[in-house]
Amino acid sequence: MDTRNPDETEQPGTAVNPDRRDFLNALAGAAFAVAAVGSIAVTVEYLSPNVLFEPPTNFRIGPPENFALDSVTYLPEQQVYIVREPAGFTVISAICTHLGCITQWSEDINMIACPCHGSRFRKNGSVEHGPAPSPLPHFLIGLTSDGNLTVDKLTIVPPTQVFKA
Amino acid sequence: MSENRKFEAGIGSDFSKDPVRIVFITKKTSAKVRGVLRDQVMSYPHVVLREIIAFELLTIVLVLMALFWDAPLEQLANPLLTPNPAKAPWYFLGLQELLHYFPPIVAGVLIPVLIIIGLVAIPYFDLNVKGEPLWNARRTPRLRIFCGIVLIFLMFFGVYKAWSIFVTTAIIAALAVAGYFVPAGRGSAIEYLRSRSLPWWLMTWFIIMACILTIIGTFFRGPGWSWVWPWR
Amino acid sequence: MSASLQSTLKGFCNNRVWRSIFRRAPARTNRTRSIAIFGNLFLHALPVKVREKSLRVRATYYLGSFSFFLFVVLTLTGIMLMFYYHPAAPKAYNDMKDLRFVVSEGIFLRNLHRLAAQAMVLAVFWHMFHVFYRGGYKPPHEFNWVIGVVLLLLTLFLSYTGYLLPWDQLAFWAITVGTNIISYIPILGKPTRFLLLGGHEIGENALLRFFVLHCVILPLAMIVLIALHFWRIQKDGGLTIRESDERK
Repeated sequence: MDTRNPDETEQPGTAVNPDRRDFLNALAGAAFAVAAVGSIAVTVEYLSPNVLFEPPTNFRIGPPENFALDSVTYLPEQQVYIVREPAGFTVISAICTHLGCITQWSEDINMIACPCHGSRFRKNGSVEHGPAPSPLPHFLIGLTSDGNLTVDKLTIVPPTQVFKA
Repeated sequence: MSENRKFEAGIGSDFSKDPVRIVFITKKTSAKVRGVLRDQVMSYPHVVLREIIAFELLTIVLVLMALFWDAPLEQLANPLLTPNPAKAPWYFLGLQELLHYFPPIVAGVLIPVLIIIGLVAIPYFDLNVKGEPLWNARRTPRLRIFCGIVLIFLMFFGVYKAWSIFVTTAIIAALAVAGYFVPAGRGSAIEYLRSRSLPWWLMTWFIIMACILTIIGTFFRGPGWSWVWPWR
Repeated sequence: MSASLQSTLKGFCNNRVWRSIFRRAPARTNRTRSIAIFGNLFLHALPVKVREKSLRVRATYYLGSFSFFLFVVLTLTGIMLMFYYHPAAPKAYNDMKDLRFVVSEGIFLRNLHRLAAQAMVLAVFWHMFHVFYRGGYKPPHEFNWVIGVVLLLLTLFLSYTGYLLPWDQLAFWAITVGTNIISYIPILGKPTRFLLLGGHEIGENALLRFFVLHCVILPLAMIVLIALHFWRIQKDGGLTIRESDERK
């Protein structure tokens, strides 16, 4: 008599070709994997919005005369600083490079300060001190034919590039 | 083989407490019971009753507090104006305090991920299953490794001028190392520290660090994340 | 008097209707008490018998129970609050004002929800630390500890997604700072943030996404994992009792 417990011995299935069984198992597994990857891909695609209603990245800010010499003007709608110095115009992002807080221009210390984690930036966007890892980016500024300044927030220019108006 | 030897029959004793039950113990398939079954009580009603009492206590405390303590509501969200200081929920203020010291990739990504991996890995490390005291065996090599790692950490904290973390870590490490030098059988407090295991020290360091950073972030940080005294 | 009361109670518990619901006689013997536990969908999360030592307050402080009860309170108050909440900006903020000044008991429900949320974060953390110091993570409880860590993360994420819903300054900037941390994750960071917010900045899409996460996806995940967590306590042999407890 077989003394092994039937519950603990492996039960052979009905006699089949083992190669065929392995092949079908692999096929089913592969089909399942493809379906899973595909489902995840289309879910991610579905969840990524194609149309966004966000503020324009390209905007006009008026004629150069609106900005006094040696002034820093904060544009709240576009979240940029318009810096006018004797050399010309620069446009600096007002969003802290650390964690996205809106920085504030502080006249008395001549510095751009972030309220969240204490980063400080100089007038040219470089980091004075604090946790911010990189300087504030500069955006492209130009002049339209009708005498208005335009800013393009999608084009980042080196801090040395100054626009003469 | 005779069929009747495949199982034995018996009757459970102590039927003043337990219901009478007939036990069939079949050969080969019997469940092995290890451990002892002492001081057991029926879940119904003992556990059920205690849970209901706990739930009632909780409800009473919550309702009383909710009656007298209003949830805060500030101005309408304004993407153009950052409040100063902008603070995360209290349980993330420790993390925000770390962000003040270290670069975001370290404080925001590396440290949380390491904490989670560390927590998940706790039960899968052999070394802490027995809870063996840190200085029980291989004392000198362990002391060298321990002090070396602590010094690397302290240098890292010093470079980033994270003095609150630096001081706390130094004190806890000093307490851990003190157990190496103090002979056994002194006062009970020293004996307690001496008998702690390495995981115990790590977890205690983590908890104290988290509490201190959270308290600093909650009460000691003002505009521009500058240091303020809450009583001024 | 008391005899007649008892017989009334007995009659109440011992008729066809009672038996049709509970399928057992009143639980007065250990056999019917056992059936009371494992014959009940909700109570069968508990073992039939427990060690008396694991019931002592100092063994658990009932922290796991409190965490679970807080989740129940949060589910109930959360469902109630949803009746008056629109996940749209700035309507969400006006709903908060309405809950405070217009809706009867609205402020009470919101207080309760917020308070329970804070308490749950605290309770879950404390529960984890307590289990650690008692050695409750040791074999055979390793996997249940890991489930517990995931439950802690879910609790934090639930609390965090709920933080945006009032749509006030506190909410907006806490979420701004938090989601910007995500974008520092190498390679995956920025796409993850875009998916989570449904855009490049926090707006209506983000509010709706956080609402769905907070009210549907995360609570469902939480319920499944809580069930697994409780079930594993039983399968892993009950709560940990230390050797030092045995002597007492």
